[in-house]
Amino acid sequence: MVKFYESSYTYDYSFPAVTLAYFLRYPNPYSTHVLSSDTISRSIDEATGQLHTTRIHRKSSRLPPAVLKLLPKSVLGNVSGGRSESYILETSTIDVKEGWMRTESKNLDWTGILSVVESQEFQRRVDSSEVGDGSGVGEGTTGVVTTVMFRSRLGDRLRARARKGDGEGEEEKKGFLASWSTNGIQRSIEAIASRKTENQLGKSKEGMTVVLERLRRGGLVGVLDGMRKDRESEGMWSKG
Amino acid sequence: MSSSLAPECNEVKERYDSCFLKWYSEKYLRGKGQKDECAALFNDYKHCLTVSFPTLTSRIISDDPKGALKERGIDKMLEEAREDHKDSDAVHMRRTCKFIAEQN
Repeated sequence: MVKFYESSYTYDYSFPAVTLAYFLRYPNPYSTHVLSSDTISRSIDEATGQLHTTRIHRKSSRLPPAVLKLLPKSVLGNVSGGRSESYILETSTIDVKEGWMRTESKNLDWTGILSVVESQEFQRRVDSSEVGDGSGVGEGTTGVVTTVMFRSRLGDRLRARARKGDGEGEEEKKGFLASWSTNGIQRSIEAIASRKTENQLGKSKEGMTVVLERLRRGGLVGVLDGMRKDRESEGMWSKG
Repeated sequence: MSSSLAPECNEVKERYDSCFLKWYSEKYLRGKGQKDECAALFNDYKHCLTVSFPTLTSRIISDDPKGALKERGIDKMLEEAREDHKDSDAVHMRRTCKFIAEQN
């Protein structure tokens, strides 16, 4: 079963600023769960001038209690108390001439429970016909379309197991019940994930905006100073 | 700057990140960056990560005694993920602006 979520947004910042903020978005005050970010490959396509980047982010994550309740112990191997760390693989391609950036992020673990793939398409927008509301930047704005796809493969696994273990007489009945209940679990997991996603997308937008505002005010130095300050205040306010 | 997966690589990572951000904002974004000027620093950083992976792998395993990561190290995981990405990149690049309708 696959589920999609799509949303569009316009950043009131120029395309170059948005791409820079994308690379600089961790850490920010809305992403305290991101523990590390590493670039594992980066290359420029000589023919097109496109820049390809692959990064890996480590996040501390917590499965929502509602999801935990639904899952059988056998699939919860690496989750203790609902807390775990997970890895996100992020790839991005930027074409500065054509003015677009495409990104894709996906989880590398727990994929047996839920795979989440987030794709984003950023597009440079220089619209001269529209007179801004006063907050516009001279260099235009940046549109982004975000698509999130989730897929819970749990049901497939449980169904396969049920099929293997079934006796002859009760096979049909049991098979029917097993598939009914795992479909229910699958639907619930996807519903919960999609609610969480809406929340999360809001936060990542806020995070980008914080970084963009720092860029506008103080350039790169402003962003790096802001990160240092976040880290200090994080030590003061949060308890891990 | 964000931290590295391997704390021992934070220093080389910071050196590379600073170089990249400077090159990216001052050259690439102005259409003058046909060549990656930070390649040497990136190699140092990558080398550090590669050397650190065995430690990282055991750290993940000890945090996660029964988990799915037990049998395979994170380096293999990355390898797989990268392979996977090659395929989806190919699809992605071919794709025109066709958006999936929102399902409610």
